[in-house]
Amino acid sequence: MHIAEGFLPPAHAIAWSVASAPFIVQGVRSLSREVREHPESTLLLGASGAFTFVLSALKIPSVTGSCSHPTGTGLGAILFRPPVMAVLGTITLLFQALLLAHGGLTTLGANAFSMAIVGPWAGYAVYRLLKRYDVPLMVSVFFAAFVADLSTYCVTSVQLALAFPDPSSGFLGALGKFGSIFAFTQVPLAVSEGLLTVLVMRLLVQSSKGELTRLGVLVKKTATGARGKTETEAKA
Amino acid sequence: MLPIDAAAHSSRWRRRHPVDKAVLGLGLTVLAISLPPWPGAALVLVAALVTLLGPAGVAPRKLWRAYRVPLGFCVTGALPLLFQLGGPEGFLTLAEGGPERAGGLLLRTSAASLGVLLFAFTTPLSDLLPRLVRAGVPAPVVDVALVTYRMSFLLLDSMSRIRQAQAARLGHTTRAAAWRSLAGLGATAFVRAFDRAARLQTGLAGRGYDGTLRVLVPDVPVSRRFVAASGTFLAALAALTLVLERLLP
Repeated sequence: MHIAEGFLPPAHAIAWSVASAPFIVQGVRSLSREVREHPESTLLLGASGAFTFVLSALKIPSVTGSCSHPTGTGLGAILFRPPVMAVLGTITLLFQALLLAHGGLTTLGANAFSMAIVGPWAGYAVYRLLKRYDVPLMVSVFFAAFVADLSTYCVTSVQLALAFPDPSSGFLGALGKFGSIFAFTQVPLAVSEGLLTVLVMRLLVQSSKGELTRLGVLVKKTATGARGKTETEAKA
Repeated sequence: MLPIDAAAHSSRWRRRHPVDKAVLGLGLTVLAISLPPWPGAALVLVAALVTLLGPAGVAPRKLWRAYRVPLGFCVTGALPLLFQLGGPEGFLTLAEGGPERAGGLLLRTSAASLGVLLFAFTTPLSDLLPRLVRAGVPAPVVDVALVTYRMSFLLLDSMSRIRQAQAARLGHTTRAAAWRSLAGLGATAFVRAFDRAARLQTGLAGRGYDGTLRVLVPDVPVSRRFVAASGTFLAALAALTLVLERLLP
């Protein structure tokens, strides 16, 4: 869930923007270097941004019968890496604020911190950790998307609890309140997003090996078998 | 095209410089979160609503359709402030001063959202993005944002047509089928996005693409009169809030 426009007090809005700034600056530098070295990357990165925007507009069924949309941070982090996702995620959040009235401009820093920074980094860390232990690709993808989604909502709970501490039990009480509301809705949604991401990745492995190899998700490996054919395998 | 952007393209203030509209719209948003919710945010809310429906000429129906989304988030977000955890009266009880806090938050978020909507409903992103370079945003980031913006509409249109085709093939009749269709939609979005990028690259290469995306930006000057009037309006709102705060209970 995006924190709505004006929801955070000015000091909190500024503090979260300051906290997000180093990650976004790092992402901007990484993106600028990539574009300088490979001008054609502008189009691929733009396509990646559009994909992230469209992914966040997909409706996924939730257990309560209602619908929600995936954050897309887990899949984005696996495909495009967290530094680039910090920039693409922030652009997506800006578009959502201005084109869909989701989130806001004063809360852009806070939303970017949860959805474009913590979510992708947490998901990517889990993905890399599982890959290191040779866990199958799809299992790694599921847990990356699950953790990215859940960590996004945990950070949002912390942001809201810091801004609106409970009158009697303070920050921890407020964290319990916001956390329990999110847990009720978001744990099933995180599972749903994990499953959806696995299904999307399975289709991508079948249909877009070239792009996945270019993005480094799959590595090209020449088998030394009798036929000497080239096969593509999940990156270890 | 998304409804807010479509409305912005045909807005009465379409030909105004984005800075003019940013001073007014985003100024109202800043006032909404800086002034006390009562009466400050309430005044900002009324001022933003009158400006949107009056001089800016936004259709009430379009505004309501866009506004109900943040309003829903505001109401949901304000509800937890009504309750408190722990304390002598029980585990979960009504918080003392909860309704005032929730009401204040609702006023603040509603007013701030309307300020941003005033900007969004009058400024197409295609007018805003190329000008961000002058505001200090690195050119490669603006270029990526421009491609993202233009490609998003094509992808959303493709997704809509694919969803229709899936529905026509009974792709949404069972929960399993719906999941398969949804996964297909996500994967197709990826394939289409990269396919379009590759074709765009080929087309641009044929026209001497050197890594810079040049787009025509309407040559509209910043209106000092409009900016000054907006500044005066915002200052008057702030002053009125301070006066009313002393007079009202």
